[in-house]
Parts: sequence; C-alpha cells; structure tokens
Amino acid sequence: MNESHDTTPQMIQRTVTVVPEEGLHARPASAFVEAANEYEADLQVGPPDADPVDARSMLGVTSLGAKGGDELVLYADGADAEAALDALEDVLSTPEAEFDDE
Amino acid sequence: MSERRLEGTGVTPLSGVGAVRWYDQSVDLPQPPDPTSVDTDAEHDRFEDARREAREQLQAERERAAEAVGESEAEILDAHVQFLEDPQIVGSVEDAIDGGLPAEHAVSEGFADAIETLSAAGGKMAERTDDLRDIRDRLLRILSETETVDLAAVPEGTVVLAEMLTPSDTAKLDPERVAGFATAKGGRTSHAAIFARSIGIPAVVGVGDALFEIEDGAEVVVDGTEGTVVLDPDEGTRQRAEGGRDVEIRTEPVATQDGTEIEVAANLGTVGELDGAAAQGADGIGLFRSEFLFLDRDSPPDEDEQFETYVEALEAFPDGRVVVRTLDVGGDKAIPYLEQPAEDNPFLGVRGIRRSLSFDDDLFETQLRALLRAAGAGAGTLSVMFPLVATVEEVESALSVVEDVAADLEREGVAHARPELGVMIETPAAVLLGPELAERLEFFSIGTNDLTQYVMAADRENDDVADLHDPRHPAVLRAIDRSVEAAHDNDAWIGMCGEMAGNPQVTELLVGLGLDELSMSAVTIPDVKENVESIDDEAARELAERALGAETKADVIDIIGETQ
Repeated sequence: MNESHDTTPQMIQRTVTVVPEEGLHARPASAFVEAANEYEADLQVGPPDADPVDARSMLGVTSLGAKGGDELVLYADGADAEAALDALEDVLSTPEAEFDDE
Repeated sequence: MSERRLEGTGVTPLSGVGAVRWYDQSVDLPQPPDPTSVDTDAEHDRFEDARREAREQLQAERERAAEAVGESEAEILDAHVQFLEDPQIVGSVEDAIDGGLPAEHAVSEGFADAIETLSAAGGKMAERTDDLRDIRDRLLRILSETETVDLAAVPEGTVVLAEMLTPSDTAKLDPERVAGFATAKGGRTSHAAIFARSIGIPAVVGVGDALFEIEDGAEVVVDGTEGTVVLDPDEGTRQRAEGGRDVEIRTEPVATQDGTEIEVAANLGTVGELDGAAAQGADGIGLFRSEFLFLDRDSPPDEDEQFETYVEALEAFPDGRVVVRTLDVGGDKAIPYLEQPAEDNPFLGVRGIRRSLSFDDDLFETQLRALLRAAGAGAGTLSVMFPLVATVEEVESALSVVEDVAADLEREGVAHARPELGVMIETPAAVLLGPELAERLEFFSIGTNDLTQYVMAADRENDDVADLHDPRHPAVLRAIDRSVEAAHDNDAWIGMCGEMAGNPQVTELLVGLGLDELSMSAVTIPDVKENVESIDDEAARELAERALGAETKADVIDIIGETQ
C-alpha cells in the first residue's frame, strides 16, 4: 500500500470535493470506510499536497480533518479500482442530510 | 451527620435517592514481562479473540441502544466497531506484539498512538478520542478478565458514580434499577447527559474531584433540577428526591375551589419524554422545544421526520393541547451544522424568530409545513408559538409565512390545518406591545427565564447577578400582569412555560395573576396540580394585587410567604 500512488498501470486517481458541510467525520466517515470495505482494490485518500491514508481506516480518514469544500484525492490500485473510486466519490458527494434516510 | 452538597450540572429535571455504586472502567496493567518470555503467536491469538468478543458485545449493546434511545445514539456504537476493525490501529497493536509485548500492553500502546493522532486533528475529530478510550478499555477488560460492575444488573435503587460514562456504558443503564447517576467530568451535551434526558434518569454531570470522596454504599440524592449530589441527605431532602410519591397523581384536568380550570402541562424536548409527562398527569405539552429535534445529529430533520414527531406528541395527548415552539437557536443554543454568525452578545443577537425570518435556508418553511400537516392529522390540538418576538412586523412576517405554506399545501393537495398561533412573551418589547400582538394571535406563553433576564438586564448564567435574575422582582410581576391583561382583553389565552411555572411556592400567585395555563418539567406537575385544587380565587386575586403593589423583591417574598 505504500507504493500505490506511483504511476503503475492499474493505479488510478481522482480529485473530489467534499460535499457534506461538516466534513468527513462521524456518519460520512463511517459511510466512507464502509464503502471502501466493499472493494478489493488498495484504496487511499488524502489531501492533494500530503501523504494519503488507508481509506479503510476510520482513524486515518477521520484524522484527515477534511471539511466541506475541501479537495481530496482518491487513489485506487487493483482490479475493481474504477468501481471503488465511483463508490467513494459517491459518498463524498452526498450531502449529510441523505445519510439520515437509511 | 449533616448533609453535604456537591455542585455539578443537572441534566434532567429529576431527582433520585439511592446507594452508591462506583463504576470504574479503567484497568491497571502490571509491568510488561521480559520480551523473550512472551509467546508472540499466542498473544496475536489473544488479541484476535478479544476483538471478536468486543465486536459481539458491541452488537448486542447496539441493539439495546437503538431500542432504548434511538438510531442516532446507536450509530455511535457502529463507529466503535469501525475503530475496532481499523487497519491502522490493528496494525500498530500487532507491531507492538511483534515487538515482544503481551496483548494488553500492545493494545494500550497501539491505542495511545491512535488517540494522539486524533487529538492532533483537533476540533470535532478530537471528540472521538473518547470513543477510542472506550474501545481500548473494553479490550483491556476482556484481555485481563477484569470484573466490572455490570451496569445492566445493578440492584434497584442504585446511584451510579463514575469519572465519566461512555456511550456504551450509558446504553446499559436501566431506568427501573438506576435511581440516578453522577459523573466527575462531562457537560450537558455529553452522551451520558443526552441519554439520561431521553430515558428519564436523574443525572448530574461535571461534579469535579469532590465526587471521588463519596464511598461505595453511601446514601446520596442526585438532584438533577438543582444540579447537586447530596451526601448523607436529611429526611426532608430525601423525601423531596423521592418526589411525587406522596403526592397524588392527577391525570384529569384540575380546577380551583371556585371551578376555574387551570391547564397544567409539561415542558419537553423529545418524544422519549412523552410517557413520563403523561405518567405525572400532564394535561398536554405547554412547551415542546423543537430545537431538540435538531440536536445531536449532523443535519436537520426533514419534513416527514418532523411531522411524525409532532403527530406522536399529539397522539400522546388526544384530549389535550401540544404547544410547539418553532426552532429556537442562537444565544446559548448553537447547532453545529446550522449557520450561526459569531456575535459579541448572542443573547441580544440573531436568536429565535429573528433567525427563522432572516436566514434563507428553508428551515422555518419546512418546520411549518410539518406543523400544519400535523395540525390536520386528527389527534389533539396543535398550537405553534414563535420565540423571542419583539415587534409587530415579526409576527406579521411569521403569519405570512404560515399563510404561504398553507397555500402551498393546499395547491399540492396535502392534508393540513391551521394550528392555533401564538408568541412567547420574553422581551420587554413584547410586553409593551401586548395588545397589538394579542389582536393578531390566539395565545401567549410567558418564558420567565428570558423575560426576567431581559427585564432585569441580568444574565441568567452569571451567578454574581443571580439575585437580580429572579422573577419575584416587582418589575417582572408587573410585566406578567400587563401581558395577562393584554391577552384577556383580546380573547387570547395566556400560559407560562418558564421555570417559575413549576415552582409550587408561587402557584397561588400565578393563578391570582390570571394565567390560564402553567407548563413545567413533568416532575413538578403533581405538586402544582395539588396546589391548584386548594386555591380560592378571591384570595389568590388579593394575593396577586398585593404582590403587584410591592416595591421590592423582599416585600414580594414577605407577601407570598405569609400565605404558605
């Protein structure tokens, strides 16, 4: 996982803006980690200018301190990389209100 | 032995008396053994087993919490499971085991790193460190096979004392058994406090180190109204704490000796409190603090959720009235996800109706839609009141939003009705404009806490002016009198939902002043209803006249006291 943001062929990345106003904590963070656990690919997330963390780590994701409007870069490496990034982007683009409708 | 009072923050208007049981969830670790004597594989297995057991415990507690308190509290325990599965934390614990530590020491070390990482993130993220400590201690208890007090199985009449209670601890408390709890740390918005309020356990938090001086088995009173823990309570204190037991519960509406009906209702913030209010004999809800619907979550409740909540309240009192106060935030009541400007003096800033009318976020419209739909749903009588009104324009603007919302619902073919509409009397401006406001509305409800604060220019939170923040000052009594007259002259009814309404010492005075309704914390309803039944209208009116003629608070107290 530590070499995953080198440019290897399967490795993809995507920049996404955090939509939930309060940022990536509590429910959105839970939903993010939950989504990451659905995929096989190696998944990481981090700010554009710093080292990413494991997208399956609640601790890592929460400690990013990402707020609404911040940009985050998602990295994926593995067979289902594309689908995994779609799912993670989906979570980051969901306003918090919709987390209530579970 | 004389009683001793420890001051803290009361979180429920309830009192309880019982025997102390200390709950200490920390685990002391012995010195780690020599790394060469540690069987690394066996320690990895122990860690795995402990995680599995922790996961099972959490799932069981989650179900209990969802049932007892609701989904939002239960979700806190979901986050615990995610931390338990966290590759970063698990990795650092496993590294520590590989480095020659037994599982419990490795857990302690791995979580210390995690707690540091989260603390460094600051703000909201740092609040989650309590969750991490909670999980760490759970793992340590499992690994060291430490027996702790089983909170779910304490004997009836136990008062639980703890440094602090975690979300998973509070989820276990059984209101049938626990007479109350008190913690050294924590504030009104801690999870323990929120839980205590939602299931109705007497609770005081933030007592400080003095709490540790109380020993297991001691008899204490937990007084959530006063915010005190009383050690070695005397007979009077104990009886008051057992409250209501020697006062008959009157479930029917009460009237004075002369047949004047006085509606006695409950103040509450959540539907979890409805049963408690009915059990104390409330005729209805005189103040439904709708902002509670917006607390302890990440985004506002939508129209349907609000509708269902209001209907649930109405159904609990099919023959009574439910008075919902529209969202009252600002001042001391900020909601993290709602926009709130930084203000030098929030109590004089964008609070109450001012916020509802000035923010373009549809919260007010959404709430009114839910309320109008609930008013048309059939059960009970719904009344809606606007907080912190100071001008006629505010009332007219609010009424026009109601008209707009009603027109929208009509056009959409959604069932609805116009609720009874009123305002809180909290500002001197509203008192002085009483007749003009009453002409446009069906009722008033006096919020004595804020009215006193604004009439006396005395901060309700500042102990140094506590003597001024007292509704027995003649200026406050005259403001109440003036509001009653304005309401009655315009065929509006008038109630009171501030703390004064629930003070049994002044029931006769309030009835004498002409209030039609008194709304209070449910626990004081039996006492107030009993007082109402003993009142002679003429005597009460004379008492009120004399109090209104008094020049000082001391004189008012003398006058009220004479009749006790």
